[in-house]
Amino acid sequence: MGSLRFEGRRVETRDGDTIGSALFRHGVRTFSRSLKSHRRRGLYCATGDCANCLVTVDGVPGERACTTGVREGMRVQRETGWPSTEHDALAINDTLHWAMPVGFYYKVFVRPRWLWEVAEKVIRRTTGTGTLPVTAAAAPKPTRYARVDVLVIGGGVAGLAAAAAAEGRVLLVDEGQIGAAASDPATRAAIERFATQARAAGVELLERHAAIGIYEGPSVPLVGPDELVEVEAARVIVATGAVEAHGVFPGNDLPGVWLARGAARLAALHGVSPGDRAVVVANTDDAAASVQTLRDAGIEVTEVRGRVLEARGSKQVASVTVLTPEGRRAFACDALVLSLGWAPRDTLLRMSPDPEVSGAGDVVLPGCTLAEAAQSGRAAGGGRPVEPRLAEPWPILEEAGYVCVCEDVDVHDLEAAWDEGWTSSEILKRYTTATMGPCQGALCSRHLSSFAESKGAAAGAQGRTTARPPARAPRLEDLIGGVHEVIERRTALHERHVEAGARMDRSGVWMRPGHYGDTNGEIRAVRERVSIMDVSTLGKFWVAGRDARALLDWAFPLDVGAVAPGRARYLLALDEAGYVVDDGLLAALADGTYYLTSTSGGADRMEASLRNWADRLNLHVHLVNQTAHLGAINVAGPYARELLAALSQDDLSRAAIPYPGHAEITVAGVACRAIAVGFVGELSYELHHPRSRSVELWNALLDAGRAWDIRPHGLDALDVLRLEKGHLFVAQDTMPDDHPTKLGLDWAVARDKTSFVGKQALVRMAALPLDRKLVGLRFDGVPQRGAPLSVGERIVGRVTSCAVSDAVGASIGLGWLRTIDGAFPQALVAGDLRATVTPMHFYDATGERPRG
Amino acid sequence: MAELRACSLAVVVCAADADALDALVAPGYGARVLRTAADEALFVTAPEVVADVAREVADRIAALDDDAIVLDVTDGWAAWSLAGDDAERAFSYLSHLEAPANRAFVQGDVAHVGAKVLGEPGCLTILVPAYWREHLRERAVHDARAHEVRP
Repeated sequence: MGSLRFEGRRVETRDGDTIGSALFRHGVRTFSRSLKSHRRRGLYCATGDCANCLVTVDGVPGERACTTGVREGMRVQRETGWPSTEHDALAINDTLHWAMPVGFYYKVFVRPRWLWEVAEKVIRRTTGTGTLPVTAAAAPKPTRYARVDVLVIGGGVAGLAAAAAAEGRVLLVDEGQIGAAASDPATRAAIERFATQARAAGVELLERHAAIGIYEGPSVPLVGPDELVEVEAARVIVATGAVEAHGVFPGNDLPGVWLARGAARLAALHGVSPGDRAVVVANTDDAAASVQTLRDAGIEVTEVRGRVLEARGSKQVASVTVLTPEGRRAFACDALVLSLGWAPRDTLLRMSPDPEVSGAGDVVLPGCTLAEAAQSGRAAGGGRPVEPRLAEPWPILEEAGYVCVCEDVDVHDLEAAWDEGWTSSEILKRYTTATMGPCQGALCSRHLSSFAESKGAAAGAQGRTTARPPARAPRLEDLIGGVHEVIERRTALHERHVEAGARMDRSGVWMRPGHYGDTNGEIRAVRERVSIMDVSTLGKFWVAGRDARALLDWAFPLDVGAVAPGRARYLLALDEAGYVVDDGLLAALADGTYYLTSTSGGADRMEASLRNWADRLNLHVHLVNQTAHLGAINVAGPYARELLAALSQDDLSRAAIPYPGHAEITVAGVACRAIAVGFVGELSYELHHPRSRSVELWNALLDAGRAWDIRPHGLDALDVLRLEKGHLFVAQDTMPDDHPTKLGLDWAVARDKTSFVGKQALVRMAALPLDRKLVGLRFDGVPQRGAPLSVGERIVGRVTSCAVSDAVGASIGLGWLRTIDGAFPQALVAGDLRATVTPMHFYDATGERPRG
Repeated sequence: MAELRACSLAVVVCAADADALDALVAPGYGARVLRTAADEALFVTAPEVVADVAREVADRIAALDDDAIVLDVTDGWAAWSLAGDDAERAFSYLSHLEAPANRAFVQGDVAHVGAKVLGEPGCLTILVPAYWREHLRERAVHDARAHEVRP
């Protein structure tokens, strides 16, 4: 014994109760209101197949009351109706059905246009199935991966028999507890017997995990209470059983109308009578067991065969009219129990036509006996797929009644849609939304195709609608399970940056210091004294082999042969269309090998490209990606050489390390490749070194640099420094279709080379007029990046980079500019500011400072 | 619960022709050879013998491919071990890869990053590029619920 809180009231619960059984025992009959007409809806299938009993549990909407077990103190709330589910003023909609015909939202609220905005808000407030807790942080579940030889979905007799008979690693999964839902003794005994066999055969039984789809592979995601499981299986056996057919007749949605297994389950498992006087419409062999169960529970049962013509009642069913072989008969009752036929739960099975996916039991042999279920399970487990039994003719739809209870679509709606020209099951679905509710057509998809067939739909237009995942509704946090958006690459200096008070920013895949608290101070340190920056994120590659030069000559537009050992050269990377995709530096080593760098974000693409070309051209080249292995620190500023001299015995003269060039030196005891670079426009040495020595080297540089009031600089300072120099950031300042001419980088292309990636495209593009290019800009204020550049009313470009530069004494930027009448305009407007086109090199135009 | 420990391992890479690597006699010193690509092999060894392993590999490969690259890239890798009876189950929360048998190795996606996984007696050793060291640790602790054992 325990209790839950139901809309503020205490409700006693018993061991094994579901929310549905506890509330029903407590007297609750209306569990929800329907989507459109706000009709009362009660427990119906009690097997988790329909959506009548969706409630909010502890703030989480959309829980099925009929299958969710109770927990002490849980808070349960019904979701629909205003002001309450029990007393719903919007039930008036049921009398306004004529005003809301099928597809009405496509036809009304069209004019005036503002009407839809108003109507949409009202509709959203009055429909739906619960409110998402938008303030709650989603807690993604971990994802587990499993590989098995056989996955069996469904822990009934057929599934367990299949699992016991299968060979290899076998996993059986059930969305509930195995055997817990069986309401008759024979089924329970059979399940127990086969479960014992399966366990003895080493089958892993996984309960409370729902399969939500079958994907190519076959791959099956399972949603469990605390985890997601992605199963890759050589074979999948679907044994998800069948649900009794949904009956469509006037009044079919009244509380008190039940599917037989659900009613029996309530009585047998939870000791709750679905009513005092039940009429059981028993058109299946299985009905006898349900009738017996209900009688055993003390319910007065009238068993009848025939077609249900109508059910009547206000708050719940009070009478039913059935067309029996003896004629039309009316019965007074408070429960109408339907056993009309079988609807295989075949959504999963229909998702995959692969031969590796087969069915067993009711899902392929609807209404089969226990013996047939076991036999089909053993056959499927042994790799002998069971031939599906042809479905019995589907119960004829009466002239009225709800076909899709989730979406409030009745027979009249289907008729109206058909008359409007929606004459196939697929487009009937889309127009009426039948089968698109929370049950995903579990009850009504056959009715839809049956309706299309009865109306004479063309052969290809009357089948079942396509089955798609999810077969069971997952929560949003289930969908994000296992997805970690934050996969950080950290340099060896990460902790040092954090200790130094850096604001760490995400820069592509890397975490990098944005600034250390004083961007302007960092800029001044580079321009006036000395500063260091962690550039370990750069892509770093060693290229060797007798064809190394041939590969690089082909892959890049620079003249590799002109790069002497000890020298370095800026390189552009183009694609075959001649567009700039990356840039970096190429250093020629003394032994005929090469060391090259790429942008931080371009390393993976650079490696892939080089390997691709080496392979395609069959070149004898060896490539080692040293990005992870090597750290790099850029020492920049007028006193960079003096700082290194304080820590190194090596020759650091311009002759020893020319600009641009490189040399192997030892700094503070750390072996480094020092590369003289000029990205920030000052004397700079990138010290490439083993990653494990990064902290030691960084600390030594900071210690020795005190004499020059050294400080590290971050990305924010770098953005200004390179902009002052007129250096672009690939991706930030470039567009996907930029060739070097547009960027002012023709000097980096050796056009006289016989061939290189993108050359033919460049030749063709050179014949075309240049209609867009990157330009330098000066502003009379502080613009925003991305601001449009315009001339009069005409937008001719946009600002890609901008900053207020103390070194230049102006507000500067880079931006795109298009021609007007064949000429590039010089005077522009950038938002509210005036902008003037200028040369891109704002600082040290002659380029002397990097040479020291 | 699986135990997670940082491992001290050394790694030597050899980039050479496929034929040369096919013919290469594995070095001694207990180094494990991981053929990670047709033209690349990694040699995983104890740190104290890494120089010996690198030298031996360099000597042997030179006779087969005179411009092969042999490089101690220990700094480029971070190694974690998952040990205990639950090691394989913990690993299944990190990767769709099948846990390798003892002395075998697999490579692919682990915690959504590229990794090499070595099967060893009683444990799995996972090698990831050094910049993902913390990422793997965090995912192993949070997703695989491994207990981190610090030295």
